[in-house]
Amino acid sequence: MASTACFMIVSKNDIPIYEAEVGTVPKKEDAAHQHQFILHAALDIVQDMAWTTSAMFLKAIDRFNDLVVSVYVTAGHTRLMLLHDSRNDDGIKSFFQEVHELYIKTILNPLYLPGSRITSSHFDTKVRALARKYL
Amino acid sequence: MEPDACIETSSMIRVAVLPVAGIPTLLFRDYAAMLLRHHTVSLNSIRSFYTEHQKSPFAHQPWESGNLRFKFMLGGSPPSPWEDFQSNRKILAVIGLCHCPSSPDLHSVADQFTAACKSYSSSLVQRCFAFSPGDSQLEEESYKGSNLVLFPPADQQTQEFHLQTMVQDIAASLLMEFEKWVLQAESGATILKTPLDSQASLSSEEVIKAKKRRLGRAQKTIGDYCLLAGSPVDANAHYSTALELTRLTSDFFWYAGAMEGSVCALLMDRNGQKDPDLEDEVKYRYNSVILHYRKSFIQDNAQRVSPLSFELEATLKLARFLCRRDLAKEVVELLTAAADGATSLIDASDKLVVYVEIARLFGALGYHRKAAFFSRQVAQLYFQQDNKHAAISAMQVLAMTTKAYRVQSRASSEPFNVSGQTYADGGKIHHHSIVSLFESQWSTLQMVVLREILLSAVRAGDPLAAWSAAARLLRSYYPLITPAGQIGLANALANSAVRLPMGTRCGDPALPFIRLHSFPLHSAQVDIVKRNPAREDWWVGSAPSGPFIYTPFSKGEPNHNNKQELTWVVGEPVQVLVELANPCGFEVMVDSIYLSVHSKNLDAFPVSVNLPPNSSKVITLSGIPTKEGPVSIPGCIVHCFGVITEHLFKEVDNLLIGATQGLVLSDPFRSCGVAKLKNALVPNISVVPPLPLLVSQVVGGDGSVMLYEGEIRDVWISLANAGTVPVEQAHISLSGKNQDSVISVASETLQSALPLKPGAEVTIRVTLKAWQLVMTDADAAAMITLSGIPTKEGPVSIPGCIVHCFGVITEHLFKEVDNLLIGATQGLVLSDPFRSCGVAKLKNALVPNISVVPPLPLLVSQVVGGDGSVMLYEGEIRDVWISLANAGTVPVEQAHISLSGKNQDSVISVASETLQSALPLKPGAEVTIRVTLKAWQLVMTDADAAASKGVPGTSAKQVKDGSSPMLLIHYAGSLRNSTEPQTEPVPPPGRRLVISLNICVLQGLSFVKARLLSMEIPAHVGGTHTKLVQLEGDSTVQANGSERQTDRFMKIDPYRGSWGLRLLELELSNPTDVVFETSVSVDMENSNDRESLSNCSCTEFADPKTRIDRDYTARVLIPLEHFKLPVLDGSFLIKGSQISGTNSGRCPSFSEKNIKAEELQKADMKVNPGMSGDFIIAHEMTAMEVLVRNNTKETIRINLSVTCKDVAGENCIEGDKATVLWEGVLTGIAKEVPPLQEIRHIFSLYFLIPGEYTMLAAAVIDDANEVLRARARSNASDEPIFCRGPPFHVRVNGTA
Repeated sequence: MASTACFMIVSKNDIPIYEAEVGTVPKKEDAAHQHQFILHAALDIVQDMAWTTSAMFLKAIDRFNDLVVSVYVTAGHTRLMLLHDSRNDDGIKSFFQEVHELYIKTILNPLYLPGSRITSSHFDTKVRALARKYL
Repeated sequence: MEPDACIETSSMIRVAVLPVAGIPTLLFRDYAAMLLRHHTVSLNSIRSFYTEHQKSPFAHQPWESGNLRFKFMLGGSPPSPWEDFQSNRKILAVIGLCHCPSSPDLHSVADQFTAACKSYSSSLVQRCFAFSPGDSQLEEESYKGSNLVLFPPADQQTQEFHLQTMVQDIAASLLMEFEKWVLQAESGATILKTPLDSQASLSSEEVIKAKKRRLGRAQKTIGDYCLLAGSPVDANAHYSTALELTRLTSDFFWYAGAMEGSVCALLMDRNGQKDPDLEDEVKYRYNSVILHYRKSFIQDNAQRVSPLSFELEATLKLARFLCRRDLAKEVVELLTAAADGATSLIDASDKLVVYVEIARLFGALGYHRKAAFFSRQVAQLYFQQDNKHAAISAMQVLAMTTKAYRVQSRASSEPFNVSGQTYADGGKIHHHSIVSLFESQWSTLQMVVLREILLSAVRAGDPLAAWSAAARLLRSYYPLITPAGQIGLANALANSAVRLPMGTRCGDPALPFIRLHSFPLHSAQVDIVKRNPAREDWWVGSAPSGPFIYTPFSKGEPNHNNKQELTWVVGEPVQVLVELANPCGFEVMVDSIYLSVHSKNLDAFPVSVNLPPNSSKVITLSGIPTKEGPVSIPGCIVHCFGVITEHLFKEVDNLLIGATQGLVLSDPFRSCGVAKLKNALVPNISVVPPLPLLVSQVVGGDGSVMLYEGEIRDVWISLANAGTVPVEQAHISLSGKNQDSVISVASETLQSALPLKPGAEVTIRVTLKAWQLVMTDADAAAMITLSGIPTKEGPVSIPGCIVHCFGVITEHLFKEVDNLLIGATQGLVLSDPFRSCGVAKLKNALVPNISVVPPLPLLVSQVVGGDGSVMLYEGEIRDVWISLANAGTVPVEQAHISLSGKNQDSVISVASETLQSALPLKPGAEVTIRVTLKAWQLVMTDADAAASKGVPGTSAKQVKDGSSPMLLIHYAGSLRNSTEPQTEPVPPPGRRLVISLNICVLQGLSFVKARLLSMEIPAHVGGTHTKLVQLEGDSTVQANGSERQTDRFMKIDPYRGSWGLRLLELELSNPTDVVFETSVSVDMENSNDRESLSNCSCTEFADPKTRIDRDYTARVLIPLEHFKLPVLDGSFLIKGSQISGTNSGRCPSFSEKNIKAEELQKADMKVNPGMSGDFIIAHEMTAMEVLVRNNTKETIRINLSVTCKDVAGENCIEGDKATVLWEGVLTGIAKEVPPLQEIRHIFSLYFLIPGEYTMLAAAVIDDANEVLRARARSNASDEPIFCRGPPFHVRVNGTA
């Protein structure tokens, strides 16, 4: 089954620091833009939701048409956002937790300025592997 | 679907407001705005207009507190099919607005209004308001009986009162109409239908169903009218009945409608007061409304009509009602549901309205990103419509989203914090604040949004918006755009600019990126010193002048924060260096760039600059301060791509900081190859009133004084005030090393000359005494020099010294002491005698092998004239005479001169043959050789060096740098020692003399650019031609008037017009402190013929001299006659110094320069057809001629030949396939061309085949002289020199 998914990490300054199309649907011209637009708009809701719960995984918090936005907020208020069309809460949760671990490893790098773009190809490979595993 | 729907909409009376009889749009808007203020009319106020005809059905009307609400529909609206369902959708009244002066005939106005009202069949009241009628119109009677109401001209207040009264009248009339309607509805049996009901003729079943439902629907409608009449209690009663009845008949659609009405009645009753209970009630009821609308969905007619829009409308109404921050979650859910529902809406405009409303509500909730998202959806819907109005709407909607996506135009965003906070702590910015500068940089989205804005602006025909969007896109996201895309954007900029009026300003800068490079500091000559009026020695305690960063004398001063202070003087030009970068793949032409001065006290001078792709440039922007006060220079004003924009330095600085942290995609300067990030701080700049400006010059000599140790000499220093205000106070003090050497300074001369008026000059005397040259080492005192004269050849050994001390003569061997010292360093000996005397270092001097050779010659050198150092301006050529004397005892037999050191090129020639011819140089004999020097170009090592130019201090540095060349003279005596023949197999050694040429190069005229201006005049000159020809024929050219001279340069050909007159324009700038005068002379390359040269320059080019003042730029025009210029490069100019006749000796203030244009002087030749006919015709003899002109002053013998080639390049005169026959001689023509004259060679051609031919004349010059060889750049002396004329194209027409 082909699925659409777009994963992004948004820093606490609302800058996207990592983005990846992890779906299996063949890429379309403006789809990526549209996905980012939806994720960007969902930040408004995350901003309110993050303070109503102590859980890091906020589940599906927003949707547009058939696409659902699931969010995981780290303690540093970095948001891991996933736009998807499948309903697989457990898989998404595991995915987020694993990516969170990867992200922590990234910010432990003394040469990485928190809040700047993650350019590590290792990180990218790992994230895509996790996406294949869980989503 | 309608925009702006809210729960209270049900209680609003819809009134169409129509323009009548050609009212101007602007006036219509004004009047309508006046009308719109009366959207609520209290029941109390309309009581006087109200007459109760029968018992009112609105029993519980709140006359004291209630009111009627109007919803004015400007321009009217088409009737809705849902009018029966919701009475508030009906247009219940029509108001026409008319402007009397534009429509004099009131009768026709009334007619037009009546006609307009016809399309509003549901309207109950019609009025036409006619504003500002004339007197005649006021008296007119014809309109009486119509609905026309005249508003006599009055002041604003009266008119508004009048209008209010009329609205109240309308309200009262409407109320009475409502009463009438309700009474009628209660009794009558109207069948109310909606598009949802089957449109087909009613079947019996349908009729029964309709009858059953009729009562409930009637009750609902009566409730609607009660709401419109402002009576919620009555409405509620009717709605309750309606709810019951519709529920029983399962008429869900009307049930939901009645429920909606009841909520509105509830809210009206509460009069806008909200409490949680009410909210819960509204929420509960509306959820049921939404549910029932959903229930009423009928599959049959889903294609045609659907209650979905009502469901969404209800959802949005509820969302609007709840729209508060603390209920955000519920509102978001409602809006998300609405957005989901919108996708299944059939009507595109309905979808548009839903998205608009969702965007608005999210905006009201403070969810700007959500609002922006839906706004963009709206814009995309507009895009699909593909017309200009939709594009304008799309552009406006997108413009609203720019804030959320952080791509807003600078014009619309709030003004920047210009205080320059980031500079406050010296450019150190905390990491967090850097990151926050780049908050919400979603580059992908931003690019998409900007691209959409650009697209919509182009479609909407708004060039400025398009320009601005393209500029933002290009500036911020150029690294993400392909070169082709970048060029596309550049084209978009250019296309938009074409449609904009000249001088349009835009808030958003495009390219290039501009950052501050540096502020050149004042040169030492114009240093500014603070004045302390309290003290007599006012300069003490002032800011340190000079190169020291810190001087203890300034310590007492309160040190203001570490910001640099800069003082500019009114009227004195200032310069700022800025760096421009163009990181894109196309050339950026900056039409003009100048400093943006917000304090308005600086006249900035614009410059234009071209930036090739991926390049950066440092340019100097200058200006003249005009008024005192602080100056703030936040950026530059740039005129580029047809629009004027302001580029702020701070923005680029922030960008660069972001780039270093990896937050921004790319650093535009680094990508252009600029390596280092220099953090230039903007100093505090203040402008002070005009100050006097002294320029100093040492009178006589070249500015440097050469003294022998202990010599006392007077030096005269002239001080001139080059400023605009007089010098009132002056004080001379000394600084630097060897202050003792200045014995006296005639400061009283200076004092007595005060005040020194502008332009005045004073000469003061300074008496100098040269100091003793001291050994640099402190030990020197302890060292003594022992000397002796070798007497015989052979090896010498010096083991020690003979000392006569304590009355006894002893021999002290060096070796013993050396051993002692070595022992002392190893701790074996008690003490080191030298160390205990304070000599620190043990120098281990080795005793060399010394040998004595027979006497050698000894040359001593001296530079004749001057102090031994030569001061030259850049490019100046000067002869220096060096005298060499043999101070030895044997003659110099051999000598060889060579060059070493830096800048060897500057020595043009050394007259070594003079030295050679003087050999053998007897002891005591002297020879003077000439060395011709050409000062080298000062090369700026760094761009910063431009700051310190023309200051003698820097040129002194040049000397120390050892940039001067050295002459090496190797010389020797006779090979064989004459006194003792054959005893020494080894010849006696030679010697080397190093003459350092101390050349100080001052910056001279600098060459800015050269242009060759062609002054060709087309043919048909007329009468002047013959005169000129006569002049030509006259072999002795009379150079009396300048007019004739210029005429001489012009050659006029009856067939071709004029040629040959060209002007070489040289632009020269003078950055020095002296005035240059340039005159043009022709250098014939005949160095031994100086007189003729000067003759030539006097007679032929006696043009007025061009004077170039200090700090100015001037253009020099040089007329050229048949000159072929070599490539214009730096070496083209030779600046020769000539002492002019009027100023004998080297005048201190004027240095006269002659600029000689070197020109290629060769024979110049042309092939002309001998006949003036328009065509050359085949099979006809055509006379041709070759013109050869000799531009040199000597006769030239040439061997001329002419060839003719066809289009294929085949020679068509010779060979098998010759197609041209000829008469006369074509090859090997030996001719002699007299100097400065021309010859012709005449021949005829006969073309067999029509077509295009190229004729070429070429000549070999026999016995070319050196000048020609040099010009032809030939190396070998036997190499033939060719000369070729331009190809001459011939078009031969056929005879047919």
